[in-house]
Amino acid sequence: MTPAVPTRARRLRAPLLVILWTLLAFEAAGGLLIFFARLAAGRTPGETLHVAAGLALTVVYAAYQWGHWFRVAPFRKSLDHALGLIAASSLALTQASGLWLGLEWWRTRSGGTGPAAYTPAVSAIHNVMSMFVLTFVGAHLGAVLWRDARARTPGR
Amino acid sequence: MHAPAFSIFSAISELFVTAGVLFVIRRNWTRRTFPFALFLSVSLFEGLVNVMYMANRASEAASTHAAASALPVGMKIAFAAHGLLSLLAYLVFVVLGVFAHQEQLRQRWFFRDRPAITWTFLVLWTISIGSGEVLFALRYLV
Repeated sequence: MTPAVPTRARRLRAPLLVILWTLLAFEAAGGLLIFFARLAAGRTPGETLHVAAGLALTVVYAAYQWGHWFRVAPFRKSLDHALGLIAASSLALTQASGLWLGLEWWRTRSGGTGPAAYTPAVSAIHNVMSMFVLTFVGAHLGAVLWRDARARTPGR
Repeated sequence: MHAPAFSIFSAISELFVTAGVLFVIRRNWTRRTFPFALFLSVSLFEGLVNVMYMANRASEAASTHAAASALPVGMKIAFAAHGLLSLLAYLVFVVLGVFAHQEQLRQRWFFRDRPAITWTFLVLWTISIGSGEVLFALRYLV
């Protein structure tokens, strides 16, 4: 008899989450490239794609977080929930600051005034919160999967 | 060149953060209670104060104003490389710390049981912090 597919494994393969992971990975790689190239060479390769994918990420993340919250609510005093809250807050701030920077990009682009002059403070918030997203999403997911793995093999 | 007050604060506080990181790992290595509150405080302080300041300086350096464009290209590349390395070191510290905390609840000692991971992380962290201090010295003290 085939064992039932575990609920978490099924959830991890849900199309919305796969799209979210793909966009997040694309934005993280693109963001790191832009960070390095902008600082080292004054260039912003793939800026347009980064903005477009960022807009898509905002919509997909909002849809995912809505469902995720109603599945895990209410908030509990546990490590998973604390890490998840930090990850969600960081992602919300990353997207908000990203939209602000996207607006500055759009204004510059439509005004034809050369490279966008981003507000340093907003750019810094965007960079740091992106780092928090990678860190705390990784820690949140790692904590949950580690706990699952330990529960399956209690003797180890 | 005159060093801004917050740059001095950040350069010094990085050493205290490093002491916190070493304390967390040392406690786990010697099979004592994982200091979760200290771990979380160090992680959030490092991210919200030191890395935020570094990101702000990096954003200024990347902007088009005169002071920024006066920076040598080599220094800009070093800033960018240090930024990426710091991100990696920070991410690894938080994730490993979370694992260590979970393992300790089962009376297991993550850092002690995985010396290769622990030492690799410590080397990474040392390079990350050391490169930051060297950049500070080159920019403001030399």
